[in-house]
Amino acid sequence: MADQNKTESANNFYNEILSPCELFAARSRSHKLPARGQKDFYPDDSEEQRQRLQQSLDEHWRLISEERVERLGNLVKGVWIPSDRIVELQSPAGKFWQTMGFSAEGKQYLLPEEALYLMECGNLLVSHQDLPLSIQDGYEMFLSADAVSLQQYQVFGHLKRLGYVVHRFDPSSEPSSYARQLNLPPSRERGGRQLKRKRSPSPTPTCSKGESPAEKMEEDDKLPESHLPTSAEPAEPQSCSSGSAGEAGARTWWMTDVPDRQADKRPSPGSPSARSRWNFSAIPFPDLGSTGRPRTVAPPDPSLLPGGVTVGVCDVASWMQKVNLREVRMSGKEEERERRGRRRDVNKDREVQRCRNWAEYHELLARRQAAREGRPAHLWSGEVTPLHDPTQPISTAELLEKISVITSTNLLEGASRLKGSEEWRICFNVYQPDSVADFKKSNPGKPYTRMCVCSFDGPVPDLRAIKQLAFQSGDVLVVFAVVDHGDISFYTFKDFQLPRDVFP
Amino acid sequence: MEAPPCRQLGELQPEQERSSSAVVGLSLCDSAPLLWRIQDLKTVRSSGLVGALLGALPRTPRQNIRLGRPLLLLPEEERLLRERHSAAALPARNQDAVGTELQQRYEEEEQRSYEEQSILALEDRRSALLRAMTSSSGSECGAGSDEALQGRLLALGQNFTFPRSALAVQLSTARAGLSHCQEARAFLQADWPIREQDSPRREARYQVFRDLRGRGFFLTSAGKFGGDFLVYPGDPLRFHAHFIAVCLTLDESICMLDVLCVARLGSNVKKTVLLCSPAPDGPVHYTSLQWSGMV
Repeated sequence: MADQNKTESANNFYNEILSPCELFAARSRSHKLPARGQKDFYPDDSEEQRQRLQQSLDEHWRLISEERVERLGNLVKGVWIPSDRIVELQSPAGKFWQTMGFSAEGKQYLLPEEALYLMECGNLLVSHQDLPLSIQDGYEMFLSADAVSLQQYQVFGHLKRLGYVVHRFDPSSEPSSYARQLNLPPSRERGGRQLKRKRSPSPTPTCSKGESPAEKMEEDDKLPESHLPTSAEPAEPQSCSSGSAGEAGARTWWMTDVPDRQADKRPSPGSPSARSRWNFSAIPFPDLGSTGRPRTVAPPDPSLLPGGVTVGVCDVASWMQKVNLREVRMSGKEEERERRGRRRDVNKDREVQRCRNWAEYHELLARRQAAREGRPAHLWSGEVTPLHDPTQPISTAELLEKISVITSTNLLEGASRLKGSEEWRICFNVYQPDSVADFKKSNPGKPYTRMCVCSFDGPVPDLRAIKQLAFQSGDVLVVFAVVDHGDISFYTFKDFQLPRDVFP
Repeated sequence: MEAPPCRQLGELQPEQERSSSAVVGLSLCDSAPLLWRIQDLKTVRSSGLVGALLGALPRTPRQNIRLGRPLLLLPEEERLLRERHSAAALPARNQDAVGTELQQRYEEEEQRSYEEQSILALEDRRSALLRAMTSSSGSECGAGSDEALQGRLLALGQNFTFPRSALAVQLSTARAGLSHCQEARAFLQADWPIREQDSPRREARYQVFRDLRGRGFFLTSAGKFGGDFLVYPGDPLRFHAHFIAVCLTLDESICMLDVLCVARLGSNVKKTVLLCSPAPDGPVHYTSLQWSGMV
């Protein structure tokens, strides 16, 4: 008898099921949290303290032991499907559907952490094998190390209770850094992306290019014609134009400029490679302005003339009068420059004569300048030269950069080479609470942060882990949520540039 | 350095005595020891172990200031309970035994609850009607109003419906139907897997925990404060923490920068830092750090 009583009372000792009377009375429960009073500093044996402690404890137990009681009509019903580890909703979802859950095959589903959170809020009743699950059942069945761990659920619940929208992070659905660079709209289907076709250079317009210079030549020729309307002179412009027209027609005159740029500029009289280039050294151009005043001009080479045209000696006496042969009066400065230029005739310089092309001439000039500037040979002629030539202008910023031993880097440098590790991975995307009104599950947009859950028992994330996570996250900050037996601390790493007091 | 002055546990009340000898049922969730039943929480609190609440508080689930069940135990707390033989692993939800019998019982209970609640609801409406009628017809009294009242009440009784959707249902926190398992001490050795590797650091932590708990201090975890434990002179509900305990083995060397860090932190949060090292022959050595000016 006594034993029976003992077991009955023992049973009741742990019974937390409310009677229908208690359930009914729960409607008029208070929904306010009692405020916690001031704490004492040091325990003395006073009765007052003991009483206050007892009061606090009683209030604490009252709060903790309160059970969740809800109207059946207010509860959304769901069923736990262990094989897929999701909860299938059996009654229409409530307001939480805006930010939680997903649809598939016409049915509504919730992820286990979302379902557990809603169970704790008293909005959802999940059944399994036709019996309702308690919160303890939910914790034990929904949370496991391979799906959502207890620590991850703690962070999830903490953020949801603050109002954030928290979704699982899916690394494959993140656009790559290249796609982000192109600023592509986030589209799921591959067909949506239009790749830009590379335009190949079109081969057609060169003939028009060839035509216009010829036209220009003809226009130019009209002017000299008026000045020198002898039979010889117009012949030359004409031959010029005909020649150019002929060349343009063959489309070779301009084109040979390009490949011949690298070729020797050495005049090779009559060489076949000169093809359409005229050997101007062989064509005498009469100098009508120099001293000497020729009265006649020799006839040109018959090869330059079109067939059937013979030209005699040309008397240019009458034309010489029309040419302005006045001495050019130069200003003092110009005269000075002329004298200086004439003194050092570049062409008489033997070193210059030895240069075979412009490149060599430039080298000569450079060498001369170097010698002139006084750059000591022992510094500049060896393998290791000074970082900077003091005579060259350089900005302070560039100079600082040249002499810097430590270069600053940013977090993402070298991050693309890192492979992901099992230990550190991003768990959640977190979106801000004020975006809940117009939040779309299908297109949530860029998250506010991403969470990586770890604990104080585990290792501190090293640079490798931070780089890899930052790279995986893209331009969204990664926050480490460190769980410590109920306390959650949030840490993040940000790039920082040391200030340089330099104006570039 | 001498150990700081401590408090002795007050005399055990008879209720406390019963609960402190009771065995607490632990449930494993993702290899973490959780307590779900209210009596277990009370038992554990009465033996001076605080733990940490993890779940949402049923009254106000959308805030983080006060949390509700389950209670997570520190590994040191769990080990202490195990050594005192006052903890047992509760069986997991029995998947096989769930058959139609349980479901039938559940449905019957729900039906019974519905009937009782409809009666209670009707009573509630009746009394509300009575109150309304008597307050409105203040001074008037007589047979006339009485009859009207009776009529109204009768009509109420006939037309009253209590919809199924208005039924108040409980969403249990702890798994229902588990009886007190005092005889489950046998569970301990059998079911409890050795879950943590015993490193010297863990051993040091446990020795310090046991010593401080034995002196009457309450300890919680102190990751946020850069230490191992926060040491309270009394129940954390009523007192502020006085110390941050950092546990080290005697032969472990600590670099000066770490000492500076933790000392600085301690002075910022107005707590004394205790460097604790258990000696192999028993007593724990405590060194407190005090930030003094330049002398």
